[in-house]
Amino acid sequence: MSSKRRVSPLTVILYAVMVILTIILLFPFFYMISKSLMTSEEVIQPIPQFLPKKPQFVNYISLFSTNDYLKGLLNTLLVVCWNMFFVPLSAGIIAFSFAKLEWKGRRLMFALMLGTMMLPGAITQVPLYSLYFEFGWIDTLWPFIIPNLFGGGAVYIFLLTQFMRGIPKEMDNAAKIDGASALRRFFAITFPLSKAILVYVIINVFLAYWGDYFGPLMYMHRSDAPKTFALVLFEKSLDENAAMDMANIRMAGGVFMSIFPAVLFALFQKQLIDGVMVGSVKG
Amino acid sequence: MIMEKKSIQLRKFFKTNYTGWLFNLPLGIGLLVFTFIPVICSFVYSFMWKYDGFTFDAWNFKNYIQMFTADWDEVSRSFLNTVLYAIISIPLGLITSYFLALLVNTGLKGVKAFRVLYYLPVTIPAVVGGLLWKDMFGQTYGIFNRILGVVGISPFPFFSNAKTSLFSVFVMNLWSVGGGMILWLSAFKNIDKQYYEAVQIEGGGRWAGFLHITIPMSTPMIFYNVIMSTIGSLQYNGTLTFAPNDGRGWDDSLYMYAVKIYQDAIKSGNIGYGSALAWVFLIVIALITVILFKTSKWVFYGEEA
Repeated sequence: MSSKRRVSPLTVILYAVMVILTIILLFPFFYMISKSLMTSEEVIQPIPQFLPKKPQFVNYISLFSTNDYLKGLLNTLLVVCWNMFFVPLSAGIIAFSFAKLEWKGRRLMFALMLGTMMLPGAITQVPLYSLYFEFGWIDTLWPFIIPNLFGGGAVYIFLLTQFMRGIPKEMDNAAKIDGASALRRFFAITFPLSKAILVYVIINVFLAYWGDYFGPLMYMHRSDAPKTFALVLFEKSLDENAAMDMANIRMAGGVFMSIFPAVLFALFQKQLIDGVMVGSVKG
Repeated sequence: MIMEKKSIQLRKFFKTNYTGWLFNLPLGIGLLVFTFIPVICSFVYSFMWKYDGFTFDAWNFKNYIQMFTADWDEVSRSFLNTVLYAIISIPLGLITSYFLALLVNTGLKGVKAFRVLYYLPVTIPAVVGGLLWKDMFGQTYGIFNRILGVVGISPFPFFSNAKTSLFSVFVMNLWSVGGGMILWLSAFKNIDKQYYEAVQIEGGGRWAGFLHITIPMSTPMIFYNVIMSTIGSLQYNGTLTFAPNDGRGWDDSLYMYAVKIYQDAIKSGNIGYGSALAWVFLIVIALITVILFKTSKWVFYGEEA
């Protein structure tokens, strides 16, 4: 501490606490990455190791040369890409009808939608299962494809509506006077102007479907069902005693699944945090 | 005559409103097919004794009776686990994330980088978190017991013992304390600086500012958080990813109500009974939410409210 400027002891303590917390909170990441680079012999050592002797990057190649994980990734990508396109689009159309169009019944529909936000998922989960069974959707990806054409969730529609209400009415009215149809006004004016909140919706849709293991767990029963990456990882982690020496591959799967959400957050921090704020203000 | 008038009215109504309804149609269909019909079905199923999705024995209340008689041990166990989990994890999360938010709400250099680092664990998918913590918490092969061994502490059983299971879940949940931190930071940001200046003029210190400004001004945030995390924690099924015995834990110590619904309805195919379990659950959650709203006099909504 020989610097000329005097550093207050409080500042030193604050930094020390922050650094210690960082080490504690990041340790699991470090350990997951480290274990994903160990050999099969190293992961079954009676004394758990902190670091691999020599990092085995080949584990990541083995991860995707096993058919299960590769197929899982393709299924996940299909679901994720579909929803990243159709959820914002359909939610946007619905939000437009709430924010920019005048019609009787608007308040009623809005209230009905908000009412479903509080409904616990457990209530619809069981009958939806029967419904999808009737449709022949069990052991297929349809439960993650079709329902999301209808807005993809009240929260997204609500956030988009609130945002669109903030866009000045004059722009919409001017286009109306010029004779632009509602569909035209939506695609040319309101939808593009909602870019900020659309980014938030798209990222959240990605996060929701990228990491979802419970949905697929409900609807995938046959061994040849189109399982998502998250479900494959979940099932592999269940029979841990059967294949302890595969722990390194599982960890590689975990690292792979964690990279994208972490990078997305780092890139879009501002939008994501602002979105959280919009969500919390409504309460 | 009247009929004609009505039809003109109807046509007029249609003409002025059809664009709105047309744009709103996806929501209408979605709510009807994927929410309202399932809710009604679920209610009907709950009165169908031994309904497995194909056939059932009789219409009666036996599903509800079974919950409180033959299956009472499991129902009460999983319900108590869930309530205990919610009662401890909600305040624990609110308080720890509050202090973390205070820590990174200073103007110190690099503080924003620390915020990002603290939030990182929240971005990890639940299934990966479960996989990782199950591994680290292993009784004999887990890395945490090796660390404890270095400090001279004997191995801690974590999820391998009914007594330490729930405690271990709370430790695990502290990892994602960054989620609450973000919410707190946004609450702090919304508080007008003038209030703190007023406190200083009145001769109050930091503590007074905290007590009379920060806390009351954050109450809408706290309330929102309590409501959302109550509804969320009561439906918690994350134990599936890490608890032994099919997500039930040793001696059912981690058996959550939502997991029980899944096990009974989907895995065992007892749709009728699962629906009854879910309806009782809905009523309990609704009651708790109503009580929370009724006792929300402590929430401060500013001058105009």
